[in-house]
Amino acid sequence: MNLRPFVYYLLLAEAFAVTTFGLGWWSVPLVAAAWGLASRSPRKAAFASLAALGGWASLLLLDVTRGPVATMGSQLAGVMHLPAFALYALTLIFPALLAWCAASLMPTVRKTAQDSTAVPATPA
Amino acid sequence: MMRRAVAGIVLAILMVVGFRATGPVPPLGPFLDPANGVWAGAAATSFPSVQQVTIPGLHDSVHVLFDDRGVPHVFASSEDDAYRALGYVEARDRLFQMEAQTRAASGRLSEWAGDRLLETDRQNRALGLVWGAERKFAAYDRSSMGFKAITAYADGVNDYIAHMRPRDLPVEYRLLNALPMKWEPIYTMYFLSRMSLTLGFNDATVRRLKAEAMVGKDAADALFPVNSPIQQPIQPNGSSKARFDFSSLPAPGAPDSSVLAIARAREDLASSLAFRKPTETSDAIGSNNWAVSPKRTADGHALLAGDPHLDLTLPSVWYEMHIVVQGKLDVAGVGFPGVPGVVIGFNRNVAWTFTNTGSDVNDYYEERVDNDASPSMYKLDGAWKPVEKRIERYLDAKGKVIATDTLRFTHRGPMRRILGKWLSMRWTLYDPSHEPDNFMKLGYTKNANEWLDVMRDYVVPTQNGLVADRSGNIAIRSSGKYPIRPGDGRGDVIRDGSTSSSDWVGQLPVDKYPFAMNPAQGFLASANQQPVDPRKNSSYMGSDWYSPWRAMHINDLLRADSMVTPDDMRRFQTDPGSARADVFVPYFLAAAAKEDSAGRSDPLLRDAARLLSSWDKRYVRESHVAVLFEAAMNELATRTWDELRDKNKKPAPSDRLNYPEAQVLVELMRQPASEWWDDRSTPARETRDDILAASLRAAYQSVSKTDGDPKSDKWLWSNTRHANIFHLLRIPAFSALDIPVQGGPSTLAPSSGAGTQGPSWRMVVELGPEVKAWATYPGGQSGAPASPRYTDRLAKWTNGLLDQVLFPRTPSDLDRKRVVSTLTLVPQ
Repeated sequence: MNLRPFVYYLLLAEAFAVTTFGLGWWSVPLVAAAWGLASRSPRKAAFASLAALGGWASLLLLDVTRGPVATMGSQLAGVMHLPAFALYALTLIFPALLAWCAASLMPTVRKTAQDSTAVPATPA
Repeated sequence: MMRRAVAGIVLAILMVVGFRATGPVPPLGPFLDPANGVWAGAAATSFPSVQQVTIPGLHDSVHVLFDDRGVPHVFASSEDDAYRALGYVEARDRLFQMEAQTRAASGRLSEWAGDRLLETDRQNRALGLVWGAERKFAAYDRSSMGFKAITAYADGVNDYIAHMRPRDLPVEYRLLNALPMKWEPIYTMYFLSRMSLTLGFNDATVRRLKAEAMVGKDAADALFPVNSPIQQPIQPNGSSKARFDFSSLPAPGAPDSSVLAIARAREDLASSLAFRKPTETSDAIGSNNWAVSPKRTADGHALLAGDPHLDLTLPSVWYEMHIVVQGKLDVAGVGFPGVPGVVIGFNRNVAWTFTNTGSDVNDYYEERVDNDASPSMYKLDGAWKPVEKRIERYLDAKGKVIATDTLRFTHRGPMRRILGKWLSMRWTLYDPSHEPDNFMKLGYTKNANEWLDVMRDYVVPTQNGLVADRSGNIAIRSSGKYPIRPGDGRGDVIRDGSTSSSDWVGQLPVDKYPFAMNPAQGFLASANQQPVDPRKNSSYMGSDWYSPWRAMHINDLLRADSMVTPDDMRRFQTDPGSARADVFVPYFLAAAAKEDSAGRSDPLLRDAARLLSSWDKRYVRESHVAVLFEAAMNELATRTWDELRDKNKKPAPSDRLNYPEAQVLVELMRQPASEWWDDRSTPARETRDDILAASLRAAYQSVSKTDGDPKSDKWLWSNTRHANIFHLLRIPAFSALDIPVQGGPSTLAPSSGAGTQGPSWRMVVELGPEVKAWATYPGGQSGAPASPRYTDRLAKWTNGLLDQVLFPRTPSDLDRKRVVSTLTLVPQ
């Protein structure tokens, strides 16, 4: 059984969680972009997306253990006229989308960078 | 390629909504961030069990122990440190509330909400609240205890703001996409100005002027009399029961439309000053207090009950605290977040509380100006005087100026143009005063006399200060600055501003204030009624007083009990009995019986009378009859005071704002054939009993139509009258709504129709060898809506129960099992 993808997933999710904790939410697309550059996998965007979701889910779970998250959720849902689950879903979808987009764009960025740094062909 | 284009567009959109607010939605990134955003804020709703924080500039360590009621017990070695620590802990619990109140008072809400609250800001500044607070602050003695305390308190608030982690940001800031502002000492003065607007701005002339426009001056003066027709004064007058000083009400006179225009303009001004327009008259923002001498208590110790009624909000207007400065101060009770110290409370020797006096301390003057459109001079005693101008700028959330006003002031106060006339206002609020000093010094007093001395130079808002001490003394004095006007001395008229002979000529000396100490009756009580019997002291102090129903009822309860216990005091605070119902129910029943005996009755009236006669006149939640009585009282007022309504318009609930107090209706009861009883919409000439019977019949019909059978649950009082405690931003999800309460209009725990005002703090103190106290308020110590401490006191408050207040002398005296969190502030 190949555990490598699982370990990568954990490490990437952890990276999302740690950088969010230390830097803020905007670190999500940065980490995803870095992953997009480093990974050769054809499914790197989906992988980053799931890892970002997992990273934020773990932070959310940590919050649950430390305070009345459910009360907060139902109150905020009331303020925003949304069902409570929608807020939780939004909290998880938001980083997932950020990560997917950032990771998806990286091959293009890399290609553009390569194209701009490539030595032009000598005319015959 | 297409996929990448979509990714690029979506990423761009996400970054925008992540960083920027879109409409009412805050920036989603920092909001949803589970490490630093709103979810992480859930963890910040409870405090660590042990925490140490370094505070530069602190003189010594301060130990703050939070008990299981969320009350901080602050142990410090100096006052400076104590108030600094208090600033820190109040900010930790109530930062958003403190800032919201400050912004409301200083006219800076538009910096949060833009145009939506611009008009409110303009009105607050135009009223001179900011100008007055700044004058007070500038004149404040820098070496005084109060000034030092508000400065130390501000430092403490800023210490907390500096120590805040992103996750500590209160949820309201996140929703508003705002950050806390630095706390300045003057903010305390802004808040006190705002409180004076709530309690000390009494434009008694509006209702009287409107009545004058409809029925002439003589009738208006009788309907809105300077003196209460039912005398149950705060200063006991030697009578063992309320005295009814009734005179004959003159018949309605001819209308005067020119007065109506002035009245309407004044009314617009008055209602624009409130966040919400009132929909009915109500004494739910009144208050009760009473004290009993040792000779009438079961344990032989003086007892004191405090029960101030204010707007009910979440978080509560009050914050409970206990402050100990070794060898100097040991005081507990409640204060206003934003104002350092205990306002109502007790120490080891003395307990005290307040009710609002509601005296008339503001007057209007019609000014003559050089230029009606933009005056720069006003005439006084034949000479032109310069108008003081002040430019007010209003900013939006981005700091952009969205409006500018030029405010003008005479030597009296701010000027406003109303119906083409420039009126200036004089108000005791604008005078130099130092209420923070008064409140703070109360904590140091050792007996009732010392306490009264501290209150001698108290200015605004006028308060009925009640005190009891361990020696068994009880005393009450209506303290504050009472202006003396020239001429007839009345303040409910607009005076000529062109002469200084219209100005106030002085202030009432303290020995003329309503006052009593250790009266023979063995108790003292106040409930916003006229404070002194005009037969004893005829000085003008105000007009249009609340009907003294609550005062009558508490006096009855205290007279009937010569062995009062602390638990009796607690029970009295929510006693559902009503002196108003005691007076009016017999009139309704007699009128129905008269109709019956005259053969004019019908099944509806008979059923209504049968139901009303079964009522014990108590507004308990289980009552099926209170709803009928209230409907009948509304019908009665509508039918009786039809002369005070525009006859071309249908009656509306807001008409009640223009009706006289119910005590005047009782006065009219003594004139059964008065012209006032005639219903102008019918050809017949009605008498009192016709109107009473018709009101009862109509009430029964209307409630039956709405609520069905009288035995159904819909008739229950608990389904009719509720407390509605709104969050400061009026967000329903952060509010506690539709709470069934015991009590009705004019009971000791009065409930207004909207349910947004009522008992804001209930306290009972026994002044025995060791002072004991019991208390609660609607809400909880925390200002965080998700915190378990946000509404943890609500159930007890609803049921009229109190918690025993912990009052340890030292940190080690506090039962460890009841300490939930310890905060130590240490100097750097």
